[in-house]
Amino acid sequence: MSGKVKIMERKGKDLYERLFLIEVFKGMAVTFGHFLSNLLDNSKLLVRHYPEQKPEITARWRGRHRLTTHEDGTMKCVACFMCQTNCPAKCIIIEAGERIDGKTEKMPVRFDIDLLECIYCGYCVEACPMDAIRMDTGIFSVTGSERPSFVMGLDALLATPGAFTEEEYKKGGA
Amino acid sequence: MSQLDILLLILRVAFGAFVPLCFIAVLVWMERRGAGFIQDRSGPNRANIFGFRAGGLVQNLADAVKLITKEDIIPDHVKHKFYFVLAPVIVFCIALISFAAVPFADVLVINGKEYIMQAIPTDLGILWFLALAGFGVYGIILAGWSSHNKYGVLGGLRAAAQVISYEIPMGLAIISMLVVYGTVNLTEMAQFQGQLLFGFIPMWGVVLQPLGAIIFIVAAFAETNRTPFDLAEGESELVAGFHVEYSSMKFGMFFMGEYVAMFTSSALIVTLYFGGFQIPWLATETLVNYARLITVLLMLLLPVFGLFFARWIAKNNKSHYDRPDDPRVREAQVYIKGLWAIVAALEIVLFIYLITVSGGVADRILVVFLQIITFLVKTTLMCFVYVWVRWTLPRFRYDQLQKLGWQTLLPLSLLNIFVTSAIVVALS
Repeated sequence: MSGKVKIMERKGKDLYERLFLIEVFKGMAVTFGHFLSNLLDNSKLLVRHYPEQKPEITARWRGRHRLTTHEDGTMKCVACFMCQTNCPAKCIIIEAGERIDGKTEKMPVRFDIDLLECIYCGYCVEACPMDAIRMDTGIFSVTGSERPSFVMGLDALLATPGAFTEEEYKKGGA
Repeated sequence: MSQLDILLLILRVAFGAFVPLCFIAVLVWMERRGAGFIQDRSGPNRANIFGFRAGGLVQNLADAVKLITKEDIIPDHVKHKFYFVLAPVIVFCIALISFAAVPFADVLVINGKEYIMQAIPTDLGILWFLALAGFGVYGIILAGWSSHNKYGVLGGLRAAAQVISYEIPMGLAIISMLVVYGTVNLTEMAQFQGQLLFGFIPMWGVVLQPLGAIIFIVAAFAETNRTPFDLAEGESELVAGFHVEYSSMKFGMFFMGEYVAMFTSSALIVTLYFGGFQIPWLATETLVNYARLITVLLMLLLPVFGLFFARWIAKNNKSHYDRPDDPRVREAQVYIKGLWAIVAALEIVLFIYLITVSGGVADRILVVFLQIITFLVKTTLMCFVYVWVRWTLPRFRYDQLQKLGWQTLLPLSLLNIFVTSAIVVALS
C-alpha cells in the first residue's frame, strides 16, 4: 500500500500554548459571549420547547406502524408472512385466515406488533410485497403505563391514518 | 457577656452556618442554568409551584425531594459500614466549617467594643483553612476505600495524590501572601486591601500578587475537585469515581459538600486576592464618615437597578411559542410587582434610617450590611468563574495534572516567594 501520507502538525508544544492561560482565556471569552447573549435575551437559545412545539417529521421517518387499505376500505395485507419472517426483533405475530371480502384468498385474522420488541428498522416495510405495512404515521413517541398496551392489534394498526400524502411518501424513497 | 454580645454571637454563627447552605441552592441553579446558557440551551426551567418557576430555582426543590425519597442503599459487600457512612459527613462538614474563619464584614465597633465579623472570631485565619482543606480530602479517600470498589479506590487514590500535589503550591502562594500582608488573620488581610496603591488603585491581593493569585486559584480549583481537575470523579474513566457506590442522600451529601467547598474556596479567594468585604475605593472609615451621602446615593441607584431588572424579567420571562393568554407573562408581572415591593421597602428603611437614627452606631451597622452584600456579590462572581471554567475547559489527563502541579506551579510559586520577599525587603 503506497497511499499518500500526510503528517499532521502536532499542536500544543510551543511556549505560547504551553502557557495554557492565554488559550484558556480565549476559550473562556467564547463561552462567556454565549452566556451573556443568552442571558440578556433567552429567545436566542437553540432549543425546541418540546411538548408544546413538535419536531417536524419527514416522510422518511420511521414512526409507529400502520396497515394500509385499498380505496374501498379493505386491507391490503394478504398474510404472506414476509414481514414476520424478515423481522430481526421478532415482534410481529400474524395468524392467517380465509379472506372474506373476496379480494384474494388470505387475510390476517390476527396481526400483533409488540412495540416494546420493535427496533424500528423498517425491514417489514421493505419486505412487504403489497405495500400493506408502512411506518409513515409520524408517531414518534409511544407511551403507556402497562406492557399489554404496547401490543398493537389489527384494528389499531388499521385505524391509524398516514401523516403524509401519497406523493410525499413516494418522494421519500419508498 | 451582655445581651448584645449573645445576640451578635448567634447572628454571626447563623450567618456562617446558613449562608453556605443557602448558596448550595443558588450554586446548583447557577451551574445548571449557566451550563445551559453557555451551551446555547435552556437548562432546567420547567419545575414550578402553581406556575411559578422562579427562573428554574424550583428545580432544586424537586431534586432535593428526589434525593431524600430515594432508597438509601449500603451495598452488602461494604465491610466497614461506619466509615462508609462517615465519609460524606466528613466531606460536607469540613467544607462547611472551613467557612467559619472567613470575615464577611469589617470589625464592628459598638460602644467601643469590637466584634470580629467571622462565624468563629479566631485569629487563626488562613491556618484554619489550610488545616481543614487538607482534611476534607480524607472524606473522599475514605469513601473510595470503604466502597470496596475498583473505581472508588482509583478515585480516592487520585484525589489523594492530587491534593498532595496541589496543597504545596497553594501553601507556597499563601506564604508569599503572608510576606506581603504580614499577618495570618483574614480580617487584617481584608483591612490591608482597603488601602490604595499610588493613591488610585485598590491595593487588592491580585494587584500585588498577580502570579500568586493565579497559582492559588488553580490550586483551589484542584482542591475543590472541580473541572479541569475533577479526576477523582472522571465519569469517562471511573464511572463516578469515589462516590460510585453511594445513593440517595449520602450521594446528596457529597454533592452538597462539593458546592459548599466551592463557596468556601470562592470566599477565601475573594478574601485573599479580591479585597474581601472591601468596596473598591471606599474603606470602612470612609463609608462610616460619608454614611448619609452613600445612603442617598443608594436610594437613587436602587430604582434604576430595579428598572433594569424589571425590564430584563419582562423581556425574558415569556413563552417562546404561540400561547393564548401566556401564563408566563402573568408570572413575570407578579415578579416585577414583588421586585418593586422590595425596592420600596428598602427605600423606606433607608429613609427611616436617614431621618431618625443616622450618625453613631447605626452608621456602622449600615456599613456592615453594605460590606456583607459586597462580600456575597464578589463570592457569587467567583463561584460563577468556577462554573464558567467547568463548562469551558476539558479535563486534564492524570500525568498532565501531576506535571502541571510539580513542574510548573511549584517552581513558579517558589520564584514568587523569592521575588516577593526581595521586593518587600527592598521597600522596607
